[in-house]
Amino acid sequence: MTEKPTMPGPTMIEFRDVQKYYGDYHALRGITAEIRAGEFFSLLGPSGCGKTTLLRTIAGFESISSGVVLIDGKDMAQVPANQRPTNMVFQSYAIFPHLTVAENVGFGLRREAGSREDKARRVTEALEMVGLKGYGARAAHALSGGQRQRVALARALILKPKVLLLDEPLSALDKKMRENMQVELIKLQRQVGITFILVTHDQEEALVMSDRIAVMFEGQIAQLDDPETLYRRPKTRQVADFIGTMNFLPAEVAAQTNEGYSVDVAGLGRCEITEAQAPGAPTGGPASVGFRPETLTILYEGQTTSDRVSEGTVEEVVYYGDMTYYDVKLDGIDTPVRLSMRNLPGRPVLDIRTRTRVSWSPGALVLFR
Amino acid sequence: MSIGGLFSRIGRSEAASGLAMISPPAIYAILLLAAPLVTILLYSFLTDGYLEIIRQFTLCNYFGPCGTYKMVEGELVQQAQFKGAWSDPLFLTVMLRSLYVSLGVTIATVFLSFPVAYFVSFHVEPSKKSLWLFLITIPFWTSYLIRVFLWKVILGYNGVINSALLGLGIIDEPLQVINYNVGAVIVTLAHAYAPFAILPIFVALEKIDRSLLEAGQDLGESSFTTFLRVTLPLAMPGVVAAVLIVFIPTIGDFVTPQLVGGPEGRLVANLIQLQYLKLDNYPLGSAMAVSAMAVVTAVSLCFLFLNRRFLRGPQS
Repeated sequence: MTEKPTMPGPTMIEFRDVQKYYGDYHALRGITAEIRAGEFFSLLGPSGCGKTTLLRTIAGFESISSGVVLIDGKDMAQVPANQRPTNMVFQSYAIFPHLTVAENVGFGLRREAGSREDKARRVTEALEMVGLKGYGARAAHALSGGQRQRVALARALILKPKVLLLDEPLSALDKKMRENMQVELIKLQRQVGITFILVTHDQEEALVMSDRIAVMFEGQIAQLDDPETLYRRPKTRQVADFIGTMNFLPAEVAAQTNEGYSVDVAGLGRCEITEAQAPGAPTGGPASVGFRPETLTILYEGQTTSDRVSEGTVEEVVYYGDMTYYDVKLDGIDTPVRLSMRNLPGRPVLDIRTRTRVSWSPGALVLFR
Repeated sequence: MSIGGLFSRIGRSEAASGLAMISPPAIYAILLLAAPLVTILLYSFLTDGYLEIIRQFTLCNYFGPCGTYKMVEGELVQQAQFKGAWSDPLFLTVMLRSLYVSLGVTIATVFLSFPVAYFVSFHVEPSKKSLWLFLITIPFWTSYLIRVFLWKVILGYNGVINSALLGLGIIDEPLQVINYNVGAVIVTLAHAYAPFAILPIFVALEKIDRSLLEAGQDLGESSFTTFLRVTLPLAMPGVVAAVLIVFIPTIGDFVTPQLVGGPEGRLVANLIQLQYLKLDNYPLGSAMAVSAMAVVTAVSLCFLFLNRRFLRGPQS
C-alpha cells in the first residue's frame, strides 16, 4: 500500500464519454473519468477490456470515435502524438536497437533548446536517476530486460512530461525483479511528482503501486476507487472476483433497515449489513454476499470469540510458507469456502478432514446485487 | 558396412552429420563456381597462342603489350600484337562506363524499390502481404530475354512511347534518344532487378518493431523525422543487401547492353565476350574478367566499409 498522503491535485486528464469503435467492435463504451495531477493511477482489467486502448488515446496513438480527452485542460482532439505533453514506457520498451544507451535516453532532446554539454549532462542525470550510471556508451541491444526498462523510463522522464504512461511495463520481468521495480517506480514517482498512469492486468501490482485504480471490463470502467476501498468494498461481483479471492454465498435481502439491510445468507443465517457494506446498492430479493479469505479465522482448541462461529470440515490445504489456505466445507453450505491463516507459532497446519470451528463477522461481508 | 550402419555412424557425430548435409551443395559449388573461377584466373596468366593456349606464365594480359604466339620448331614466334587489359584505353573506357551504368542502375533500382517495399511492409494488411510479394515476382514468369525485348518494343523508333507521343502531337518525329544508349540500358536493368532490391528491403522493414516508430513520435518526432531517425537506419542492412545484389550482377550483364545499348552502350561483359568468342583470345578475356571482378570487389568492399555501422550484429 502507498503511505503517501493523498493530495487531491487539480485534474490532469479528463475523459468525457469516450467511445472507440474498431469497425463493428466497440472497444471503449463511454469512459468518463478524471485523473488528478501527481497521482499514481492504474487501469486494471483482463486482456481485451480496453485498458491499453484507453492509454493509447491519451498518448495520441489511437483516435477516438466520439467524446473528449482533455490533458491539463486542453482538448487533445487535434493534437498529434508528438506534440502531447505525455511520454510512454512501452510494453516491449521500444529501445532503439541501433543507438547506444545515451543516444536512446537523449533521443527526444534533439528538438529542445540547449547546448550539447547541457543535453549530455541531462542524459547523465537521467541515467543516474534510474540507476544506470556509467551505462551511456553501451549498445542498447546488449542490455538485460530490467536495464532496458530503466532506459525506457529515463528516456521518457528526461523530457519532463506532464503525464508518464506505462503500458504493462513489468510484465516481461521475473517475479523478484518485478517486485523490486514496483517499489522503485513508486519511489521514482514520488521523487519526480509526475502523474503516472499504469496499465496492468496484475491486480496485485495495481494494489501495491496505485493511489487510485480504475477496474475495466468490456470497454467500461466498473469501479474507480483507491486500492483499499476497491479491495474491501467492491461494487460488483465481477470486480470482487477480479481483485483478490472472494467467497460468494447466495443470499436473500429480507428487509431494508435504517442502517442497511437484513440479509438471510445460505448456511450463515440472518446477518445485519450496513449501507457501507453494500456499495452496489442492492434492492430487495435474491442477492449474494462475499467475503475475503482473511476475514474468516480458524478457532483452535480452547479459543473463544465474540464473533459468530460456524463449524465445518477441512477439505483442502494449500501451504504457502507464511500462509496456509484452507478450503473448509461449512455445515449447511454446499460449496467449500476458502480462508487464509498466517502460520504463527502455536498454530499447527490442519490436516484434511479435520473438524474445525470458524469465526466470522457480519461486518466483513459485502452484499452484492 | 550396410547403408543403415553408415547413416547411424554419421548420425552419432554432430560435426559429421553437418558435413554430410552440406557436402552435396559444397561439391556442386566447388565444381561449378570455384573450379571455373580458378581456371579463368590461371588462363589470365598464360600466353595466347594461335587456336591454343601456350602454357607459359606472363603478366602481359594485364599490363603492357602482349602478343599471340605460335610454336615453330620449339620456338615461340610472335604472330600478332595486342594491348594488355589495363594498358588498353578501350578497356578502361568501357570499364568506367560499366561502373557508371551499374551505379546508375543500382541507385535507380534501390530508390524506386524502397517505396514499394515500404508500402508493402507498412501499408498492406498482413494477410495480403504475401499476395503483394507474389505480384511483385510476376515479371519473373517471363524469360529475361523476352523482358529485354519488350523494353525494345517500348523504347524503339516505332515503339510504344514514340507512337504515343506522336499520336498526342507532342513530338513531330520519333525520339531517337530513348533507345540504343546507356539510358535505355539503365531503364531496362533497373526494371529487371527491382524484385531483387524490393525483397531484402522488405525483409529489413518487416523486422522493425512497430512500437519503435510510436516511440519516435512519442519522443516528439514527426512521422517524417521518425522515418529518418528510426526507420531508415534500421532498414539499412536491407538497403545494403539490395545495393550489392543489384550492383554485382549488373556489371556483368551482357544481354541488355547488346540488345538495347547500341554501339555506345556496350559494357565490359560485351568486351569479354568479344575476346572469348570472336577473337579467340582466352588469356586476354580472362584477364579482363578477373580485372572486372577485382573492381567490383573493391567497390563493394568500400561500400560495406562505409555502411559498417548499420551492419553490426546484435551480438557485437
